[in-house]
Amino acid sequence: MLSALCLLMVLLTSQQGDVVYPIPEAISLTTTGSYATLIVESKSAAGLITDLTDEVSARIENPEIATLFQGRVYGKKIGTTRLLIDVKGKQLAVPVSYNPIANPLATTFYNDIEPILARHQCNSSGCHGKAEGQNGFRLSVFGSDPDFDFESIFLDGRGRRVMPESPANSLFVRKMSGKISHGGGARIPDNNPDYQTVIDWITEGALKKNDAISDVVGIEVQPPLRVLKGGAKQRLTVFAILKDGTRKEVTAHSRFFSNHEALAAVDIHGIVSTNEIPGEAVILVTYRNKTAVFRAILPAVHQYTAGKRYADENWIDRLIQTKLDTLRIPASPLSKDEEFARRVFLDIVGTLPDSSELKAFLADTNSDKRSKLVEELLNRPSYSDYSALVWSDLLRVDRQALGAKQAYAYYRWLKNSFSENKPLDKLAFEILSAQGYLDEHPEGSFYKVVKSPGELSSSFAQIFLGVRIACAECHHHPFDKWTQADYLGMQSFFTGVRLKNIGKKEILVGDNTSPGSNPRYKEKVFAHALGQPLPEVQPKGDARQLFAQWVVSPENQWFARNAANRVWAHLFGHGLVEPIDDFRDTNPASHPELLVKLANHLIQNKYDVKALIKLITASETYQRSSTPVPGNESDEWNYSRFLLKSMPAEVLFDAISQTTGVPGDFVGYPVGTRAIQLWDSRYQDYFLKVHGRPLRVSSCSCERQKEPGIAQVLHELNSPELHRKLSHEQGKIARLIAGKSSQKEIIDELFLSYFSRYPNKSELDLAAELLAKAKDATSKREALEDLAWGMMNSLEFLFNH
Amino acid sequence: MNNKSYCDGKTRRDVLRLGVAGVLGHSFSLPNLLAYDQSSKSQKSLIYVFLHGGLSTIDTFDMKPDAPAEYRGEFKQGDTAVPGIRICDQLPSISKQMGKLSLIRSFRHNNSDHGPADHYMLTGYFPQAGFNGGLTPNNHRPSIGSIISKLAPANQGVPPYVCVPKMHSSCGPAYLGPTASPFVVESDPNSPSFQVPDLSPPIEIRADRLDSRKHILERLDRFRATGEMKANQGAKSVSTFQQKAFDLMTSPETRSAFQLQKEKDSIRDEYGRNTLGQSCLLARRLVESGVRCVTIDHSNWDTHDNNFTTLKQDLLPIFDRSIASLFKDLSERGMLENTLVVVTGEFGRTPKINKNAGRDHWGPVFTVALGGGGIKGGVVVGKSDAKAEKPASDPYGPEDLFATICHAMGMNPEHEFITPDGRPIMAVNQGRKIDPLF
Repeated sequence: MLSALCLLMVLLTSQQGDVVYPIPEAISLTTTGSYATLIVESKSAAGLITDLTDEVSARIENPEIATLFQGRVYGKKIGTTRLLIDVKGKQLAVPVSYNPIANPLATTFYNDIEPILARHQCNSSGCHGKAEGQNGFRLSVFGSDPDFDFESIFLDGRGRRVMPESPANSLFVRKMSGKISHGGGARIPDNNPDYQTVIDWITEGALKKNDAISDVVGIEVQPPLRVLKGGAKQRLTVFAILKDGTRKEVTAHSRFFSNHEALAAVDIHGIVSTNEIPGEAVILVTYRNKTAVFRAILPAVHQYTAGKRYADENWIDRLIQTKLDTLRIPASPLSKDEEFARRVFLDIVGTLPDSSELKAFLADTNSDKRSKLVEELLNRPSYSDYSALVWSDLLRVDRQALGAKQAYAYYRWLKNSFSENKPLDKLAFEILSAQGYLDEHPEGSFYKVVKSPGELSSSFAQIFLGVRIACAECHHHPFDKWTQADYLGMQSFFTGVRLKNIGKKEILVGDNTSPGSNPRYKEKVFAHALGQPLPEVQPKGDARQLFAQWVVSPENQWFARNAANRVWAHLFGHGLVEPIDDFRDTNPASHPELLVKLANHLIQNKYDVKALIKLITASETYQRSSTPVPGNESDEWNYSRFLLKSMPAEVLFDAISQTTGVPGDFVGYPVGTRAIQLWDSRYQDYFLKVHGRPLRVSSCSCERQKEPGIAQVLHELNSPELHRKLSHEQGKIARLIAGKSSQKEIIDELFLSYFSRYPNKSELDLAAELLAKAKDATSKREALEDLAWGMMNSLEFLFNH
Repeated sequence: MNNKSYCDGKTRRDVLRLGVAGVLGHSFSLPNLLAYDQSSKSQKSLIYVFLHGGLSTIDTFDMKPDAPAEYRGEFKQGDTAVPGIRICDQLPSISKQMGKLSLIRSFRHNNSDHGPADHYMLTGYFPQAGFNGGLTPNNHRPSIGSIISKLAPANQGVPPYVCVPKMHSSCGPAYLGPTASPFVVESDPNSPSFQVPDLSPPIEIRADRLDSRKHILERLDRFRATGEMKANQGAKSVSTFQQKAFDLMTSPETRSAFQLQKEKDSIRDEYGRNTLGQSCLLARRLVESGVRCVTIDHSNWDTHDNNFTTLKQDLLPIFDRSIASLFKDLSERGMLENTLVVVTGEFGRTPKINKNAGRDHWGPVFTVALGGGGIKGGVVVGKSDAKAEKPASDPYGPEDLFATICHAMGMNPEHEFITPDGRPIMAVNQGRKIDPLF
């Protein structure tokens, strides 16, 4: 980060005396099909590097030896030549040699042909990669199984697919190049260097693999990190590290994806182009089931004064500020007490402060009143109501699947867990290892909602580890390391779990489990957790117990990080890892060190969620104002200001009930029940539905819809139900009018209720104007209703800020 | 925003009840209405009937009676109004209307997963990494309705783009932003109590009071001034939706278009008293009032099991009536020339029948039916091979369909939208219009 800072200073200075140089300085192509991407960079005296390749014209001195294709040099004939480069009138030369004779067995199916099939999408899931293949030719999806694919090409089809004596007449070659009718068209025409690689491979004997080199150990992307200006381009080159340590360029056969296209986009050639939004973007690169990332740091280009220094013990603020300084994004000031109170009420107990609570807080002069308020809110029963709501979504408290009685018992169990502040690892362990009569052990209910071993394991991985493994049920996860064996290993823990009926009661039992079986090879895969070594045997008895122990053990890095990330995301509106349940090496945290420290905090405090909430809410990062300052308006990922959060359907419902003074009336629930206390996600209510309440049919936090829609807005503006609440004869406005309050007190009360603050001058003027126009009691009441309606439809009310 | 004056003291609903002729406001005057009518006649609209799950086109529009038994299925072919075009005999009404619609029998894209294929067929773009079909909207690429909202906006007062009866997750606006979001009906047009919720203020709110409320809201909403609105996407969207909502609320055209009850019973019966039939009828009413795109999301065509029984008993009778009535009705009203109707699933179904007497997903070839909007009727474009496994000639894909829609609607398929982060992205991803249709 520090070096990034230094580089940035240079961004702003002039660019005299730049050194211009090519990468690589010399090109030596020693196998058929190998190539080298040309990059021309300039480096200023102060160290700023700029990619100039777009401004370059280049040619091969002797075009018989080598050729340039899409910015890359490929060999044609054994010999040496030079690549001649003209950059802004300056001449450079790069020596080029081509001699594949030295490595006659270097072109293999594993290393060269499989990546070509992937690059041209021959093995995509819509083509030959799908389970039944395409027109009798079948490949493993995304090339996850090269042995299978080799056989498919070389041995199937009665040997006519590959003809060593006449490579260009091979069916495989004629199809891929479109020389004969091919449903996919001419994927690899004969002017593409990949065509020649396939021909060379067949000519050389169509080798499957070469044990000395054929395993790709990993990939490397160059450069791994760069500080870039807006509107800049950066070429990436990708190298595979082979088993023998050889580095081989594979850029043209890699795939590239950006995690923030708004900041930096990438094309199929690996060229990154940046936009004028400061921040950090990650480019994911995949090649042969290996992945790597490139990080683009995009600092703002404006005057910037480094932010506040924080002591080590304020590590949240220190780590956040370090990155803001790198990106030169200024932070908004601290929130006022009113903003803070509204925010912690909504975040911790899921409802607005009422006016008397708020007045008391504002009047308090103690310097520690903010942390005291948090402490007090965490001890309210509504904290467990709200936490139970959040976790009931994830853990699928679904009446339709469970029946009312069981769903309610499951919900009660969750709510009690939060009211006693049960450590999160204990909660997870109890669910994972649940057994016995369901009515006595409601924590086992998840096994009634989800029954198949595969869905159980992938749901639990998503909920408790934040890892998505469902892709690996059918094929290697395209952006992660998970294979079908990992999936089957996880699934296998749950193959013994059964729900049985004994009399009228249901009992959850964990019988012996059976190993998974790879559908392609029929080999057995014994139960093992993600990333753990493959065991030789299936564990005896109910293997779930082993899994549950592993989930909460220190060997498992994901559990604590996932838990910390979920708490963080609840408080800030998005996670340090986002989506919050998609932890991957290729989806890195925005603040990796911070995430680790938050996870450690949980571990050290025995998974005390309340302690973590206290820690985070005490930070200046959490307490920042939502009002932007010049320079941080476009920042959404670096916590320079507090982002507006949409309110969950239930929270908004309760906020309206409270501000109008008319509680919800839920059929079958006790009078006074609040929407966040509804345990039944299927309870029919248009307001809740239209505001995105999930039905709980998936364990993905994305099931709760957060995007606003016009139906919501129309509902707030026009719904007869909300009108009834505003004008209710026992509602807040009616009671205020009937009471002895002065006009000023009434207006104050409305503003404190809706906006959690006193009105300002212009707002008081507005209220006075409206009331002055009102000639009789009815029109006075209507004026107040209209004012309240306006507040209810304001962004300041509709969002948590 | 439309500022229409109303007599004080009357509720807005009264004004609307009085109907058009008797109201004072000049924008309701007869000459204006006529002008409106004419402009709506020269403009084109799209009705996109999405058969969610995937229509089995090998059993309907592109049958293979000579294929082996495990492919050809149980239905027979029948003649249509167009000599030489034969389709499934379970579609007698559509057969009669065959002169009004055409079939692209060599349509294909190579994806057979619901989420991505849906997105491909509704936006014209294949989704990239990070696509999450579970999100609504999935916010990846703009739907055709959103593109139309931007390139061919509606007459003021009616929403340009409406989803009936609900919104498919790929029908969102993505980077075109909330002004290109659909108006979602969220109510079953076949239900006796069908009504679009919250479209007008409560009956107690008089016109003057609504004006006052708007004024209050504008003055109270502090976040517009302090920057929170601009700096937060969600808040920006809510604010835009509020503007749009006021437009809708003050439009008699909108209200009338949604009043299916105004339609004669005989017409309602003809379309069929079911969700698809009444959705098609509602779509016609909406287009009549100036809406530019109606997307009908109809489920469930995912016939993995008992394909033939489900089609024969449940889906095809409804489908046949609804679609045939839509073409017939549009034509009789002189609207077909300006209304393009596209009928398709996200893919077809596997030519080979599976062990559950069903058919699975099949993107490599299927048939898209379309007609109206200046497109020739009674044309068959391309053909599939002997077993309907892949195109045998003239392969076309979603990009081409979208280029064709743009061409028919008079929109430039190469129009570059600038995303909020400054990237230029073309309306259509390099498709070519399907010439035999014009």
